[in-house]
Amino acid sequence: MLSSEKTTSDIVELSISSWFYRNRTIAGFDNPARSLYVSIRELVENSLDASESAGVLPKINVILDTAESCSDENLGIASEPKIFNLTVRDNGTGIARENVPKLIGKMLSGTKFMHRQSRGTFGLGGSLALLYGQITTQKPIHIITGQLGESHFHSMTMKLDIEKNRPIVIDESTIAKNPSQHGTQISYSLQGDWFRSKRRIVDYFNQTSIIVPYASLRLETPNGEVHQYMGVIEKLPPHPKEMKPHPKGIDVELLKSMASITRSTNLRSFLMNSFQRIGPSTADGFLDYASLTPSTSPRDLTDDEFVKIMHSLSTYSKFTAPSSNSLSPAGEKVLIAGMNRLNPELCIVRQRAPSVYEGHPFIIETGIAYGGSLTSGIQLYRFANRIPLLYDERTDVSSRVIRELNIRSYGLSQNDPLAFFVHICSTKIPYKTIGKEFIADVDVIRREIELGFKDCLRKTGELVRKKHRSQKKLKRENKLQQYYTFIAETLSEATERKIQSDRLFERGEY
Amino acid sequence: MKYQNQEVSNLISDLLETLADTIQDGVFPEIGYYGSSKKNIQYSSESGYTHRDANPSFVDGRKVESAKTIAGLIYGLTRFKEHIDQGMSMSLRDFYYMHKVKRVQDVLKIEHQNETNRLINLSERILRMQGTSVPREEFGVVSSPKGTFYGDLTLSDLSGKRLNCTEAGEYGWFISSRPFDVTIHDINIDAAIFVEKEAMARNLIELGLAENLRLGIGSLFGQPGRNMRAWIRKLSDNEVPIFVLVDMSPWSLRIFSTIQSNSIELANIRGLASPETKLMGITTQDFWSSKGMLSGIEHSLESMSKSDIKCAQQNRNIPAINENTVLKRENEIMLKKKRKGELEAFKAFGLPLTELRTLYVSYIKKKARAFDVKLI
Repeated sequence: MLSSEKTTSDIVELSISSWFYRNRTIAGFDNPARSLYVSIRELVENSLDASESAGVLPKINVILDTAESCSDENLGIASEPKIFNLTVRDNGTGIARENVPKLIGKMLSGTKFMHRQSRGTFGLGGSLALLYGQITTQKPIHIITGQLGESHFHSMTMKLDIEKNRPIVIDESTIAKNPSQHGTQISYSLQGDWFRSKRRIVDYFNQTSIIVPYASLRLETPNGEVHQYMGVIEKLPPHPKEMKPHPKGIDVELLKSMASITRSTNLRSFLMNSFQRIGPSTADGFLDYASLTPSTSPRDLTDDEFVKIMHSLSTYSKFTAPSSNSLSPAGEKVLIAGMNRLNPELCIVRQRAPSVYEGHPFIIETGIAYGGSLTSGIQLYRFANRIPLLYDERTDVSSRVIRELNIRSYGLSQNDPLAFFVHICSTKIPYKTIGKEFIADVDVIRREIELGFKDCLRKTGELVRKKHRSQKKLKRENKLQQYYTFIAETLSEATERKIQSDRLFERGEY
Repeated sequence: MKYQNQEVSNLISDLLETLADTIQDGVFPEIGYYGSSKKNIQYSSESGYTHRDANPSFVDGRKVESAKTIAGLIYGLTRFKEHIDQGMSMSLRDFYYMHKVKRVQDVLKIEHQNETNRLINLSERILRMQGTSVPREEFGVVSSPKGTFYGDLTLSDLSGKRLNCTEAGEYGWFISSRPFDVTIHDINIDAAIFVEKEAMARNLIELGLAENLRLGIGSLFGQPGRNMRAWIRKLSDNEVPIFVLVDMSPWSLRIFSTIQSNSIELANIRGLASPETKLMGITTQDFWSSKGMLSGIEHSLESMSKSDIKCAQQNRNIPAINENTVLKRENEIMLKKKRKGELEAFKAFGLPLTELRTLYVSYIKKKARAFDVKLI
């Protein structure tokens, strides 16, 4: 048992950054190889978000370089942790000068309880990456950012005070720019293991280029290699709208937080103003179902009453399904453009109708590519909210769906050059781990993926059969012509007159 | 039936011209023929298997496989015509190798002799004169000579030389590949015996039976070829009584029935059946009847193998065996006893050679007499 004296002397309050500092493995920064990959991924995703928010086709340039010079360049990058310099530049909206310290140099969480499809889970990924760099190198972050219409970029050098979760600006200057220029460049140092993370990072760029084919991505590696993916379509998916939470998609803590800041003075208006899909009649119906007094002030509710309301919210069956306006599926054209990066012979894409999982809307997009440059056998490409899921493929719900599909019944075989694509977009992706690597096996999601794949397979099988038929027909025609050319030659020789077989094929009666 | 070379050559030319005109007119050729389906074959004890034009088949030139067949057929016909015109023959194997000419192989891609054999068979069915197939020998495709014949018979074969079959070699004259074209000048034999196994035929010649009994002795060398069957028919047409000596086995019943009735596959070729032929031996009666001449060596019989039994069971479905009283009875007794005997059984008596000769003589005389043929 702890004594009260011991409690006061040994226990200290932790800031969010301090907490991360002590528990960084939870967020994926558990070893230098994984940390390097996660850092690049988080910053690239922030950049993609920034560009898409600005409504411009993203152009993202990533330069990773060793901070320490190699003793023997011929040996390449050694398989051991090293210090790297990472620079990520985008053409996003840029950050207003006054917001730079708190957005970049501080761990923050929003206070607006709105739902919208986004790449991140908690919105802290980018900040965590920068914090990891500072922890492992003790070096500051350099940021250059500028917004549309401004005459100069803001250049800042700063560090994060981990214990106090506060930015410390070390240096600041401006750089003249054209008012039409906008975007942000972040440079910092971090510890990493390029040798062990190279394949993962290159895979990440390959697959990201598939799900955001409208983006131009460039990666310069410590080996001096440049991986460049030019945008292949000039079409951005529509930006998702922010929506209020759905009553089925919250928990007690969130409900309490919402009640604590609401301006509504009674439960009825609180329900109508704070949640989507609740109008006067639904609010009255629910309050009646939950035996709550409409005039009760949300701020006066006790913990027990919050638990009771939460229970009623989860069991009340008359709420309308959540709106899918908060989602932004890639769409057929974008998906096909991305799939075409693999140079297949044909691509089929299907978008399922919006569906609901634990109060959150989701849309499944599936695609199948066939033939061309694809290698023999089935490949699976998984995406969630426009980010690629690279690892733990076998445990992903999509893998299970493919394993259970009877490919042969569609006239295809396991050895055919087939690539399956699945994209789930939702306000809450059911990742099974914090590493955002695979989707949990949720019945309703599995069913949607299965129906999407089956629809694609039907069309793919039909087109492949058609292709085989026409190939067979062509082969047959060629054979016939070959035989009759031979016959004509033989008969010409035997009869000593010129016999021609051309007329046989003029009418196409064969 | 004998055809003039020029007639066959003209027939091929006409066919090639017709095909050339058809193709030149922009029409895919379609070739009809009568195959060896059940409807096209009939059996009677008087004439064996014969062909009738009941159910035609067609090679439709619009189909890829049929076009290949027609290409192979036309190429084959040009080769046949050339050989006829030059007075040359070819073997089945020669014909197969003619398809290994590079430009032919590149197109037809023939990989097995079965395929070219099939083209020859088709040519026989397509080339018809006076309502019947022209045998391949008439367009130059001959098998290697198989079988010999010894006896006082004078003939002229394709060499044009006149020869007597007792003077043609140690064991007689090698049967011509084209017996239709052999001319018989003189026959001084009272009967001809054709023996399945060459060793026994040789023994009969060595023991002087041909001269002493005025016999012709032929060696079948197993299943007789087309040339041997045609030769037997030629002798039969010349009123020579024909006897056949084969093993006592289901397989040998088939050998005998092929000589007597021809085969279903070659029913379209006339002149290969000799319905008057008699089964001299060795028979089940020889071993198991009380007066059987071989009953003393019944112990030499061997058990029938599984394949022997299967063969005997299948014999029940062969009209030439099942509808022939003698052959049917032989087959059923063998199936019942499940024993078989070979011509070499005579040696199981253990007799001195002079007594063995006497045994052969008395066996042949007795069996011939049973068929109303008296040998001196």
